[in-house]
Amino acid sequence: MMKYLKKYCDILGPSGMEDAVREAIIEDIKGSGCEYETDPMGNLIVFKKGKQRRDKKVLFSAHMDEVGFMVKFIDEEGYIWFDAVGGIDRRVVSGRRVLFCESGINGVVASKAIHMQTPEEKGKCEPISEMRIDIGAKDREEAKQYITVGDCCVFTPNYEEFGNGLVCSKALDDRFGCAALVAMINSDLEYDTYFAFNTCEEIGCDGAKEVAHRLRPDIVFALEATTAGDILGVPKGKCACSVGSGAVLSIMDRSTIYDQSLLELATKVADEKKIKWQYKNVVAGGNEAGVYQRGANGAKVLAISAPARYIHSQSNVLSLEDIQAVADLAAAINERSFN
Amino acid sequence: MEKLYTLVENFTTYPGVSGFEDSAFDGLRAYVETLGIFDEMGTTSVGSFYAIMRCGKANAPLVLCDAHLDTIGFVVTELCEGGFLRVANIGGIAAKILPATDVLIFGKKTIRGIFASKPPHLQEPGESEKKMEVTELFIDTGLPLDELKKIVRVGTPCAFPCRLTKLLGENLAGAGFDDRLCGASIVRALQMLDKSKLNVDVAFQFSGGEEIGYKGAMTTAYRLNPDKAIVIDVTHAFVPGAPKTREGVRAGNGGDICLSPQTNRAWTKYAISVAEREGIPYQLSAAPGRTGTNSNAVQTAGSGIPTFLVSIPLKNMHTMSEIVDMNDALNTSRLVAAVLQSL
Repeated sequence: MMKYLKKYCDILGPSGMEDAVREAIIEDIKGSGCEYETDPMGNLIVFKKGKQRRDKKVLFSAHMDEVGFMVKFIDEEGYIWFDAVGGIDRRVVSGRRVLFCESGINGVVASKAIHMQTPEEKGKCEPISEMRIDIGAKDREEAKQYITVGDCCVFTPNYEEFGNGLVCSKALDDRFGCAALVAMINSDLEYDTYFAFNTCEEIGCDGAKEVAHRLRPDIVFALEATTAGDILGVPKGKCACSVGSGAVLSIMDRSTIYDQSLLELATKVADEKKIKWQYKNVVAGGNEAGVYQRGANGAKVLAISAPARYIHSQSNVLSLEDIQAVADLAAAINERSFN
Repeated sequence: MEKLYTLVENFTTYPGVSGFEDSAFDGLRAYVETLGIFDEMGTTSVGSFYAIMRCGKANAPLVLCDAHLDTIGFVVTELCEGGFLRVANIGGIAAKILPATDVLIFGKKTIRGIFASKPPHLQEPGESEKKMEVTELFIDTGLPLDELKKIVRVGTPCAFPCRLTKLLGENLAGAGFDDRLCGASIVRALQMLDKSKLNVDVAFQFSGGEEIGYKGAMTTAYRLNPDKAIVIDVTHAFVPGAPKTREGVRAGNGGDICLSPQTNRAWTKYAISVAEREGIPYQLSAAPGRTGTNSNAVQTAGSGIPTFLVSIPLKNMHTMSEIVDMNDALNTSRLVAAVLQSL
C-alpha cells in the first residue's frame, strides 16, 4: 500500500476534478483481474471476485477528491481572486504555495508584508474570499493567457515523512484510503467485494450518493481521515482521537450513528488480529458513511478512520502505522462472510 | 541570469537566523571559495562573513558591498509534552502564515516540524477572525518528548525551508530572499567586473544581526574601514493594499535607489548618473527618516563611510513565499558592477 501513498498524495484532484487520481488508480488495478467502471459522476466502481460468493453486497469506499481553491476573478493587476473548494480554515491559506491543475502554473497566496500591515490588520487573517493568488503576472492580460475563471488549484504537493513515523501531505485525506483500497484490490480476496473511489466528498459527499443508488450495497465500510485533536493543551477528552494510537472507530458523528453490529465486529477482529485501534471520543465531523446509510435502500455502515492532525491544510499529518492499521483492519474484516 | 539563479539557490541553502549566523559560515565559506573570485575571506565575532577581491593595484581604495546574512526565523522557548515546541519569532513574522506551515529545526541534527493548527471541533464560533500571536502557536515535531530533548534545547533556532518556485516570467518565490538574494546579487556584480580595468578593491560583506539592530554591519564595516560603501537590501514592492507611496516601487522596474539622510546624497546621485549613462533600469524611493536597512550602521561606522542604498523590490517580505522578479536582482547587479567599474 505504501508504494501508492506518495504517488496518490502528489496528484492534484480537488472536488470535481478527480480525473487524474482516477486514472492513476485504474493504472494500478487493471492488472488485478477486477472489473471496473467509471460512472457519469466520475466515481470509479470496482468489483473484485473472491474465492467465495457473498449473499450480501459489501462495499469499501474512499474518496478521491481533496480540498482546494477555485478562481473567481482576475483583477487588473493580474492577481487571482478565489474561494475554497471544501472547508478550509482561512488561517492556513495566506502565504502558502498553490499549483494550478489545468495549466500547471505555480502561485503564492499573496501575504502583505508585516511591515506594511495597519494596526487593525496585525495578527488578523482576512477571509479567503478577500485573498489573492500571485502567479507573477504583470497584468490581467498576461494572467488570462494561463488562467481562466473556474480553474482550480490545490496546495502544492509536499509529501514528506518526518518525526516518529509520521507523514505529511496536502491530500492524505483521503488518498491514504484510496491507497488502502487499491492494495486490497490487488490482493487475493476470500469473498466477492465492491470498491468505490468517489468524487466530491469534500463538498457534501455527492459522489457517494450516486454510488449508493447505483450499487445498493448492504454493508459499507468508509475509509477516511478523521480529525485528531491531540495537540498541546487539549485535554484527552476533547482530542477526538490521537495520532499513533491506531485505527479510529466511532460510535457516532454529526452524520451517522454507526451500525452497532459492525462496530462490535470491527473491535473483535481488531483485537483478534492485534491491530491497534481507538474509539473516537467526541461527536464531531462526518463522512460518506452517513450518505450510504440513508442512500437508496439504506445500508449498514461503519467508518474505519485514520487520525489526522491539521486536516484540510497543506500539511495533513498522519502516522504510517495508523494508516497500515486501517488497511489491515479493513482487509481482516473483509475476510468475514457477512452471511 | 542563469548564474544569478545558481547563486540564489546556493545562498538560500544555509540557515542563518539572526543571532545564529555562525551555522551558515562553513557552508558559505566553502561555496564562496568555489567561485574563485575572492583573494581573502574572514569572519567576525558578531556573526558576519566577508570576502575581499583585490584589483592588484597599489593603494587602491576599498569599496564595501554589504548585504545581510541573517534571516528571519524562530527560536525555541519551551519543549512541551507530546513533542511540541513553543517558539518566539526573530524578526517580524505574521502569525497568520504559520498554522500547518512546515519549518526546519536546527538542533543537533536538522529535523522537520509543522506549526499546529486548531481542529474545527475545538474552535469557538468566529475564532478564525480573532487576532493571533506567534507565541500562542507551537510546532509539532512528531517526536516523543524524551527523544526531542536529545536533539533540541531552549535556544535552538528554526527557519522556513527555502523551496524555490518559478512563477511567470522571471518571478521566483522562496524563503530567506531577505537578504540572501542581495548577497547573490552582489557576487553576480563582482563576477561581471573586468578586473584588468578595475581601480578599487572590493569587499563583499555578508553581515549578521540586521533583523535585530544592524550590529553585524556596524562592526564589520568598522573592521574593514572602507572608503565607500554600497548597501544592498530588499524593499517592499507595491502590492494591493499597500500605502499610496508604495505605488512608485514596482516589481520589474529595476533596483530601487533610496534617497535618505541615512545615505550619502552625492554618492547616491553618482550611482543614479551611472545608471542613466549605462541605461540600467532603476527606480527611486525616499526614506526621510530611517531606511530600515544597514545603510546607517555602515555610513556611521568608524569615522564615517559614504554609503548608497539600492534595494531589490520584494513581495510578501518575511514570509516563506517571498517573491522577486529576478530581472530586478540582475539589474541591481548590473548597477553595482557599473558603479564599481567606473571608479
